[in-house]
Amino acid sequence: MEISWLQAILIGICACLSSMPGMGGSSIGNYTLGRPLVGGLVCGLILGDVTTGVLVGCAMQVVYIALVTPGGTVSADVRAVSYIGIPLAMAALNSYGLGASTAEGTALATSFGTMVGTLGTVLFYGTATINLVWQHIGWRAVEKRQYKKLYLVDMGLPWISHLICSFIPTVIMCKLGADVVELIKISLPMDGLAMKTLFTVGSLLPCVGIAILLKQIVKKATDFIPFLFGVVLAASMGVNLVSATVIAGMFAIITYNLKMLLLKKSADGVDDDDEEDI
Amino acid sequence: MEKKLSKKSLNKSFHNWYYGHLTCFSQEHMQTFGYLCAMLPLVEELYDNEDDKAKAMNTYTAFFNTEPQLGSVIVGITAGLEEARARGQEDVDEETINGLRAGLMGPIAGIGDSLVVGTVIPILLGIAMGMSTGGSPLGAIFYIIVWNLFAYFGMKFMYFKGYALGGKAVDFLIGAQGEALRDAITTLGGIVIGAVSATWVSVKTSLELISKETGEAYVVLQDQLDAVFPGLLTTLFIILCWFLMVRKRMSPIKVMLLLVVIAFVGVLVGFFDPNLTY
Repeated sequence: MEISWLQAILIGICACLSSMPGMGGSSIGNYTLGRPLVGGLVCGLILGDVTTGVLVGCAMQVVYIALVTPGGTVSADVRAVSYIGIPLAMAALNSYGLGASTAEGTALATSFGTMVGTLGTVLFYGTATINLVWQHIGWRAVEKRQYKKLYLVDMGLPWISHLICSFIPTVIMCKLGADVVELIKISLPMDGLAMKTLFTVGSLLPCVGIAILLKQIVKKATDFIPFLFGVVLAASMGVNLVSATVIAGMFAIITYNLKMLLLKKSADGVDDDDEEDI
Repeated sequence: MEKKLSKKSLNKSFHNWYYGHLTCFSQEHMQTFGYLCAMLPLVEELYDNEDDKAKAMNTYTAFFNTEPQLGSVIVGITAGLEEARARGQEDVDEETINGLRAGLMGPIAGIGDSLVVGTVIPILLGIAMGMSTGGSPLGAIFYIIVWNLFAYFGMKFMYFKGYALGGKAVDFLIGAQGEALRDAITTLGGIVIGAVSATWVSVKTSLELISKETGEAYVVLQDQLDAVFPGLLTTLFIILCWFLMVRKRMSPIKVMLLLVVIAFVGVLVGFFDPNLTY
């Protein structure tokens, strides 16, 4: 599969918009265009094969369904997953002659996504570092009281960071895509150790995403119980996600009411002490 | 003269935040420039004097970073406080505003991550992926529409709620009631994250012990593990990642590299095998 210049450029622009920190803003950019499922649709539309695009996007989305960036810690870069990984995986499936809906096709898409996603974190740190230059210009503008310039600093100049760290790498990888894939195909056979490892890594990496979320919630061992309860709901009892959320909501209400009751009681308790003193 | 912010500047301020909170991100000043851009329309309307403008803008040069969707409420609150300061209310000064911003950043990030990133997005993506099975673009379109409506109107609601309540919102958010609410939301988040991981993450072992006489497997480790607790292996890997990041203070990147090593060794000894052939 050949990716034309125009197609590569369109995909490159999407990469600029979708990254974290991206030019689409986090709601439209990172959380919409950056999600591999949406990226799959977009790449599918650009490359003229929506079905394969969405299937590949779905496969990669499973890995990054819980991708979070607390405090600017990035464990995978969405622009690389969605706009380098998906086009490459589509090209790979094409050259391997694999269907995107087969188990092998899904596994291949997953490992390509995780490979570029992990390597892509370099792009994240690159963008954030170049933005330091614009912020420096911003501080000078604040000192000189040229506040209008802040708009340029916040919403204009970072485009240059993205030209360097999103646009150019994406376009190059898309253009080289078919050749890179061909090279991988010849040098790394599917049943070889390297490919097996890559697929296995693909299934292990989502654990990091979930663990990053748990980091916010779990402080001590007993905090794991709600999490394990959720696992039991889905894995042992076969409850689907929406139903699990309703059950979770019920427990949230109970927790809230209990806490409020305790607060009220302790407030009353203070009053009692006062009366005894008298 | 009674100073009151017009709907127009409030809207402009909100949209500046909605779009620009992360566009000029760096590790040093994460959302600071987004915040400055959000406050600029308000400051320009409230103060005619250049010195007053400079004094007000200076307040918002302090570091800021939180979960941006829910964090809209903080921007709204400071809009209300800035208005109060412009009216000459004495108990509102730079120190109170920045104390409040610093105090709210952490708790809001905690609730925001478990609510928005840990619950809403995985659920929407989960539903969308179900709809996109087989490569239909429907799921991706569903996600684009529902998430963006939720994010836009949700953020707008939070912003204007924060503006209307002003300082009162702070008591609610970090007071006793806020703490009960936080506990309730983290319980909800914990359960949903557990269900998400059991639904979408799957770590499986291929280790089997084959009897020499009959040539049949008499121990299939994966089945044995599932008999103990369905999804045991996946859960153990997630807890391991949490343990490494929280207790051993390893960075997510290091944890991921460790998983690559584990995958490699696992494949070598036959613990992991994705069973792929051409």
